[in-house]
Amino acid sequence: MTDAVFRETTAEPRTQAVPLSHLSLELGHLYMEDFEAGPERLREHFAEVRIWVDAARASAARRIGGKRPRISTCFLIDDYFTRFSTPAELIPIVLDEAERAGLVIDYLARESGCAVADKIELAEAVMHRLVESPPPGSYGSRPPVSRTGWLPNGQRTPALRPALGEVKGWQPPQETAARNHSVFMDVELWSDKDEQRLWSCPFLAAVWQLARLGLLRHLGEPVLAPRPWTGGDFPHDWDQLPPLLRLNATAAPFNAYRTCTLMANRFLAVEDAVRLILDQVDVDAGALRQVAERSAREGVAVPAAVAQRATYVFYEEPARDSSREAS
Amino acid sequence: MGALPPVAPAVLACGEVRTGLLPSFQALDGRAAAQLLRLRADERVRVSERPNLYALSPDVLTGVDCRLPTSNGAKVRAVGTVAARAALTEGRVLQATAYFSAPADGPDLRRPWGHYLVRPGLVEPFGKLPEQATAEGVLRGSGRGELDLGMIAEGLLAQLLRHPLLDHKAPFKSRRTHLRWAARRAPEGEGPSLERFTLAEDGLRTVSLRLPEHVPAAAAAGLCEDLALHDWLLTTVVHMLDTSRLGAADGPAAVLALRPAVDHLLHLWMPRAHVDQDLGHLWEVLEREPGFTRQWRTLVQRIRDQLAVQAIPLLHEALTTR
Repeated sequence: MTDAVFRETTAEPRTQAVPLSHLSLELGHLYMEDFEAGPERLREHFAEVRIWVDAARASAARRIGGKRPRISTCFLIDDYFTRFSTPAELIPIVLDEAERAGLVIDYLARESGCAVADKIELAEAVMHRLVESPPPGSYGSRPPVSRTGWLPNGQRTPALRPALGEVKGWQPPQETAARNHSVFMDVELWSDKDEQRLWSCPFLAAVWQLARLGLLRHLGEPVLAPRPWTGGDFPHDWDQLPPLLRLNATAAPFNAYRTCTLMANRFLAVEDAVRLILDQVDVDAGALRQVAERSAREGVAVPAAVAQRATYVFYEEPARDSSREAS
Repeated sequence: MGALPPVAPAVLACGEVRTGLLPSFQALDGRAAAQLLRLRADERVRVSERPNLYALSPDVLTGVDCRLPTSNGAKVRAVGTVAARAALTEGRVLQATAYFSAPADGPDLRRPWGHYLVRPGLVEPFGKLPEQATAEGVLRGSGRGELDLGMIAEGLLAQLLRHPLLDHKAPFKSRRTHLRWAARRAPEGEGPSLERFTLAEDGLRTVSLRLPEHVPAAAAAGLCEDLALHDWLLTTVVHMLDTSRLGAADGPAAVLALRPAVDHLLHLWMPRAHVDQDLGHLWEVLEREPGFTRQWRTLVQRIRDQLAVQAIPLLHEALTTR
């Protein structure tokens, strides 16, 4: 219909494209307990991560046929579940410790930016895009995710209803994609307390993955656009810090065809939950098409299913400070 | 879709449209229409002001894993997503459509859910799709446990009708209609065609189409929404004239009975206003036989004549009492 004489812009679908790297490499995710453990903990972390960063770079280069891949690095600081320290105090330490390990952090993000960024409710928008995997026998009824706040990978154990007089025995839950046996998982997406919604860690992490994959839009416009940091001191209040900051002026684009996340193995369960969520999100069709077309033009195959685009390296936790003191 | 792994192209597209009067005393303007149809916070409602006010919601998906309705009793399990969308014309007529398309065959194993989500509105059969039996099955209506497009469209309609914008004070009584449609692939080299339009009882209409491969299911849904809208207008105005007891009723009563048509419906007739260019000409079949627009013009003329006739004594009265 593009050759039509008459056009109405409000009547046409529109999705703005974003620049894309080959890989978005997350160098870490900082929680209060990591911070409280002191800079040595960060030093250990980056020293370990450095090894896997080199491996991830080599893997990305191999995948595009030995050419130089576009890779951007990012680092996420939790300011959503617990507020600790200040950007002015914390960020220079993180940057110093990364540099000491020979790493450059291109982009820095705040976890609360995955809930609300620049007044746009990202988590809420992603929640509206959940399309539950239907268990066999689903012929058109709408599943109740938005009512329960839980998302499973199959069918739950039916509730026992002794009031009906007929007490049935326990029935097991069932994973929809089970092979012979089930690994059933049920993920809490949020909790409501005092009319305040608290998004769960896996849900925000799923939003974070979608943001890195360049698949989020708000009314067709990109969201969580990186703001350049022009130097100078970081603010003393987390709210003063933009949700996503570009620290390196020459960095490759923040969004990428794939993500690789390097984290301690205690996050394994959280990230498994993230994949469960990603597998049930109906992402913006325009954004999805743009990624497919760009990658096809570049000759870089991208997995069709969104959850398959997120990869991970789980490494052994740095030794606890207590154990180090003991040694 | 670019780098997505090839899936056999769709050979069948099916849908169901439910059409009814928006339960609101005032017709909604463009902004309110966009608010009503904003099914997702992050996606725009498409609003068109020419040649008439028309708002179209984004598609929302419902996951299904069930048997397809078939006319010959064949049991075909299928997995995928059904798309649903809503449209509001002139802030007055609300429509909800559920539709899907299906390839000629699919794997005998359910794939990871993410596979289906990146192919919105596609339902893949296990094994070979009995095309004709499925098309006929959808038009006939689904049995127990079979894919139920009507339920999905009705669910979307119910969701919209809970919107706080609506005061549930419809200006007149009317009935909803449902139109089921099935489009099979046109033979190689042939253009789209409308094979049959059936007016059944209880507000049910069915449409059989043939479409070339390049026509997306959404375009077929748009055509069928347009057909359903105009069929609903005819149905509703005919019913209004029936109940007004033209000729028998005394003057003011007839005027009162017909007034809603003038206020709310007569300006809505505009076939093809938002139909895909490739499909607009399918209307011509219905214009020749039975002649949708011909009937509409007659109805409009009858209403106008009736109102004019009723106005004469009033005018006379006004002149003589002066």
